[in-house]
Amino acid sequence: MNLILVLPILIPFTTAILCLFFWKNIKAQRIFHLSGAFLYLIFSFVLFSEVRTNGILVTQVGDWVAPFGITFVGDLFSAIMILINGIIGFATAIYAVGSIDEKRAQYGFYPLLQFLIMGISGAFLTGDIFNLYVWFEVMLMSSFVLIALGGTKPQIEGAIKYVTLNLLSSAFFLTGCGILYGVAGTLNLADLSIKLAELNNPGLVTVIGMLFLVSFGIKAGIFPLFFWLPASYHTPPAAVSAIFGGMMTKVGVYSLIRVYTLLFNHDIGYTHTIILVLASFTMVTGVLGAFAQTEFRRILSFHIVSQIGYMILGLAIFTPLSIAGTIFYIAHNIFAKTNLFFISGVVRSISGSYSLKKLGGLYKPYPMLGILFLISAFALAGIPPLSGFWAKFIVIKAALEVEDLISVAVALFVSLLTLLSMIKIWNDAFWKDKIDSESEEEVNQFKSMSKVKKIFFLSPIVLLALITISIGFFPEFLFSLSRDAAEQLLNPQIYIEAVLGKVK
Amino acid sequence: MEALLAIVIGVLYTAGIYMMLRRSLVKVIFGLVFLGHAANLLIFTLGRITTGKPPFVAAGATSVVEPFADPLPQALILTAIIIGFGVQAFAIILFKKAYHTVGTDDVDKMNSTDRIE
Amino acid sequence: MIEVILLSFLSAFLLPLFFRFNKKLPGIISTLVAFFLFIYFASTLPTILSGNVIKESTPWFPAVGINFSFYLDGLSLLFALLITGIGTVVFLYASKYMEDYKYSARFFVYLTSFMASMLGLVLSDNLILLFIFLELTSVTSFLLIGFKHEKESSRYAALQALIVTGTGGLILFAGIIAIGIIAGTFNISDLLSNQQLIVQHSAYGLILFTFLLGAFTKSAQFPFHFWLPSAMEAPTPVSAYLHSATMVKAGVFLLARMNPILGGTELWQNSLILFGTITMLFAILTAVKQTDLKKILAYSTVSILGTLVMLIGIGTDFAIRAMIITLIAHAIYKATLFLISGTIDSQTGTRDVTKLRGLKDKMPITFATAILAMLSMFGIIPFLGFIGKETLLDSVIRSGLYFPFLPIIVFVSSVFVIAVASIVVLRPFLFAFKKTPRDVTEAPFRMWIGPALLSLLGLVFGISATYSLTSIVNSVSASIFNFNSDYTIKLWYGFNLNFFLSVLIVLVGLVFYRYRNIFIKIVSHSAIINYVKPSFWYDKFISGLNKLATTQTSLLQTGFLRHYIIIIMLAFIVFVGYTFFRNIPLSEINPNFNSTTYEKILAGVIVISAFFVVKAKSRLYAIISMGVVGYSIAIIFVLYGAPDLALTQFAIETLSVILFVFVLYKLPKYQNFSHPTRRMRDFLIAGSSGLIITLIVFYVTSIQLQSEVKKFFSETSLPIGMGRNVVNVIIVDFRALDTLGEITVLGIAAIGVFSMLKLILREEKN
Repeated sequence: MNLILVLPILIPFTTAILCLFFWKNIKAQRIFHLSGAFLYLIFSFVLFSEVRTNGILVTQVGDWVAPFGITFVGDLFSAIMILINGIIGFATAIYAVGSIDEKRAQYGFYPLLQFLIMGISGAFLTGDIFNLYVWFEVMLMSSFVLIALGGTKPQIEGAIKYVTLNLLSSAFFLTGCGILYGVAGTLNLADLSIKLAELNNPGLVTVIGMLFLVSFGIKAGIFPLFFWLPASYHTPPAAVSAIFGGMMTKVGVYSLIRVYTLLFNHDIGYTHTIILVLASFTMVTGVLGAFAQTEFRRILSFHIVSQIGYMILGLAIFTPLSIAGTIFYIAHNIFAKTNLFFISGVVRSISGSYSLKKLGGLYKPYPMLGILFLISAFALAGIPPLSGFWAKFIVIKAALEVEDLISVAVALFVSLLTLLSMIKIWNDAFWKDKIDSESEEEVNQFKSMSKVKKIFFLSPIVLLALITISIGFFPEFLFSLSRDAAEQLLNPQIYIEAVLGKVK
Repeated sequence: MEALLAIVIGVLYTAGIYMMLRRSLVKVIFGLVFLGHAANLLIFTLGRITTGKPPFVAAGATSVVEPFADPLPQALILTAIIIGFGVQAFAIILFKKAYHTVGTDDVDKMNSTDRIE
Repeated sequence: MIEVILLSFLSAFLLPLFFRFNKKLPGIISTLVAFFLFIYFASTLPTILSGNVIKESTPWFPAVGINFSFYLDGLSLLFALLITGIGTVVFLYASKYMEDYKYSARFFVYLTSFMASMLGLVLSDNLILLFIFLELTSVTSFLLIGFKHEKESSRYAALQALIVTGTGGLILFAGIIAIGIIAGTFNISDLLSNQQLIVQHSAYGLILFTFLLGAFTKSAQFPFHFWLPSAMEAPTPVSAYLHSATMVKAGVFLLARMNPILGGTELWQNSLILFGTITMLFAILTAVKQTDLKKILAYSTVSILGTLVMLIGIGTDFAIRAMIITLIAHAIYKATLFLISGTIDSQTGTRDVTKLRGLKDKMPITFATAILAMLSMFGIIPFLGFIGKETLLDSVIRSGLYFPFLPIIVFVSSVFVIAVASIVVLRPFLFAFKKTPRDVTEAPFRMWIGPALLSLLGLVFGISATYSLTSIVNSVSASIFNFNSDYTIKLWYGFNLNFFLSVLIVLVGLVFYRYRNIFIKIVSHSAIINYVKPSFWYDKFISGLNKLATTQTSLLQTGFLRHYIIIIMLAFIVFVGYTFFRNIPLSEINPNFNSTTYEKILAGVIVISAFFVVKAKSRLYAIISMGVVGYSIAIIFVLYGAPDLALTQFAIETLSVILFVFVLYKLPKYQNFSHPTRRMRDFLIAGSSGLIITLIVFYVTSIQLQSEVKKFFSETSLPIGMGRNVVNVIIVDFRALDTLGEITVLGIAAIGVFSMLKLILREEKN
């Protein structure tokens, strides 16, 4: 059994267990947690290089031959996502140490974060549909607790909606698993691909595909299934919002891409047209929602939805360039979005609030924070030469190549509104003067933080900003990765052969 | 029997969704439980049911003799039941907590996080 | 060239470091940087003017055809010289003007970055690269306009500029990508040979539209001009540099650059002439009404930009030459006048034209400079502006287009230009002195030397036109036309029609200036003006957008959980249900209704208990009925050969019931809150969903299932898995990973329950 593919599960698992053993000792937990995140990062990078140089990596858990046991598959797309997970996990780990209050840390924050990373990793690597369900549940369960941890009123209210709607999604997912087994007699994704094709019943396969569209769509946050997201993402502490906003919805997008390139590719004209229309609606409703808000994180939450629209658009167009665009977009977006949430946490620590009405005057005393915000915000809005510009460029080019003028117009319009919305935050939080007469000394927790804590608080922001800038200045690297990953995705034969060996 | 089970599954889904749409938090949980049962039963039914024979390897044999029930759906459902229980337990506590924090059992009153702000 | 641009950016970012040493350093360093760049570009004059072109390319993103490709020809060199030359003057001026600002370092960072972006723009050979620099100029302009960001009006103006130019930019973006797809390259120098391909393509009109929109928003053409007067919120050096001499000319530059690729068609010609002319006339009319010096200058800039666009539209070699000369002349005199307005503002404390009189004695040097600039703007011989005016009139009449309307409009707007120039110069400086808020003294050295030099240039270039300008104009024309022309610029063409027209314009202009108040009164009274004002529509658009956003969001994100569930279920019904009925012929659904009595009873029990749960009036009854459902399902498991499953189901169901009873016991009365109609609706939705699932199960069970997996497990369970209970072996061995996950979920749930019970944080005070 190829260990490297299982490490992304084992490392966070072990770390979490260790943290649990040292329940009372927060310091020890911090050390384990940071080391675990760091180890994960290292190994995610090793995995990534392996896959990049040697092609798809496959391993059978327990050495039970496919398709009978559970397979773990590291194709380029998965490897990229694991690497990003590693970076974000590490950044969030550092940020959490700098920002999480003592109380939450005492009640299991660190192990929960590690379990979350474990679930996400499992989802990215598994090659078995029911196993995917299990990892989704691990991920969801940790997120349920994380979002409610602390028990404040907004958290509870947000958690109710979050939990209920995600459980609905899980119910659909489970149903889908059942139907798939009942139709194809297997749970292994590669095997399913073959069996579903052999059925010669594209109609039925598409019905199942629609079910998964709804289920994964809820998780990914596409229209009209995203309402749980803006209701809940802004309630927990910033570190939690950050990793949710960065990684969790992307797992939904990942799963959609995985099943729609591997399994449900029998009636593309129908399915992908639906996805195309949904993508446009997602982009628009998301950005309009952001526009209406005046609270920093609520704005960001709606933007998550809007940006998901772009990624789904790439999937819908279904050309090599568009899928490469989606992958590029996912990568760029994760870094920019997570960073924006991180920054919102710092802003809150300085000004005591997330509400734009109460914020103000941050640029003069904290210009560097302003610059970091601008980098991530402009990246999100697609201003060159930052990462988002290239992502937008690729997706729009792909759309123009298939002469889909409507999607292009929508994408550009939404891009403008995204920029507007970001400037609104900039204007209100950084440029305009503070209106409130609240004494600064009372609310500015940031000033009184120890130097060490400040480093933990701020270095992830700098790190992610540097990554955003690097992608912006050296887009070739990420693009060639995306393009190769897209190649693999659009040629399911490669995946199937890697898992099952040469068939026939 | 499949048809009958299919109807039962449909009824359970209906009950589940209906309960989730109710305003009382407790009813919402009932809805979730129903959905869990429904999904489990669905996996079971679609795994093709066989009357009687459980998948045991009899003494002296090396493999199970047909006809026997498909073990895989059973394992899946087992996993799903346990996961479902864990989730339900948490959900129940969460909802109880919600009642204490918000002061009411009525989901409609819990909408402050959605207000445009 | 790429090194030059990168170094410029680098120097911009390093300025804050220098600021720490000495507050004056950033301004001075920026000036030096601009000056060195000017020298650098001037040194390439011999090469370029003799007909050569410098091309450089560094790979950047070759996979999509975007490289750091730079192209120095006549057109880009002219602009580069303007950018760096006027830049030097403005930066020198600003180093004094901004000296007392606390955050002057930031100012120069933005300003120098802007200059670098602008340079990148004009030197780009790659359309996407050009676009990138274009956007960078928008961003730096945003930061500069909003420099005094405590002021609401500055923020508003900055945002407005960004939105208008940004929108144009986004639309232009689509057009650029389209060209890239059609021609297979983004390189301008390669596109030059592809003109036919593009012009004859069916999407030509659309592409032209995108380029026009991009150019028009950037160069403030009607109706996208309104951001420019607002941008006067910026500190004056910014207005002088960006909003008269450089950034606003970017649109004109783009049109000139694209002329050999997109131009030459009727659509091109007519659109440019139309918009250019309207802008030219409308803007100068508006300029006359203004009282703020900077606003007057801003509107007159818009007008000249309109003239330039019109000339490119006319497109003859005479028109292009006129365009080039007018561009140079305007850049010089407008920058001068803007800087002077800044000087007046800082020295007297006001920019209001009605409050300024007789400054000539107090500020003699500035006065002299202003007169020189004004004369160039008038178009008096021997200033450069005169040549500009002459060639303008000449090319318009000569082209014969839209005769006689076009020449008349040009005449009228030129008259207004005279009036405007008089308002800006004659009024504040001549006549008797009026007391101003501040005591007036002459400007400091750094603030008068630059403008003075510039205004002298207007004279020098005019006199020496033949020698100094001929080769440059020819070189630039060559770029715009893509073929060589050889024409000698002269100062004096004789007492021809154009000369008489010029004189007439000046005379009528001065008369109009004298009696302009009548005109202003008439125009101010018409209320229609309000609706013609595009800024009015801009504000409407923004507030409309806000309203749309708020309405849409409150409609969708209602806060009610059941709304969300309903929408999701409707999506389910529509997507899954519709697809099902579309794809699956109902005839193929063959449910197997054979069943024993026991089975029938069990099914009945479940259904009835479910019904009870729904209808129960008390929690206890509901919980009990729930339990019955669970237990019945366990019995089903027993019936169909799943004993382990049944055991688990029994156990978990019992636990569940206990949990429910303990936890949910102390809750208020178990009520029915909802309205009957709502319950009906909910039932319909729930019922449809259930029906779809039932149908799916019917259909799937009527198909045969082959499961190799089943066979495998049954055969290997004992030999390899070492277990007789196949289900157990699956859970513990074959699919152990699932079990690991399952246990983890339980563990997390345990943490969750524990923490939820114990940890209650007070909501952080906002």
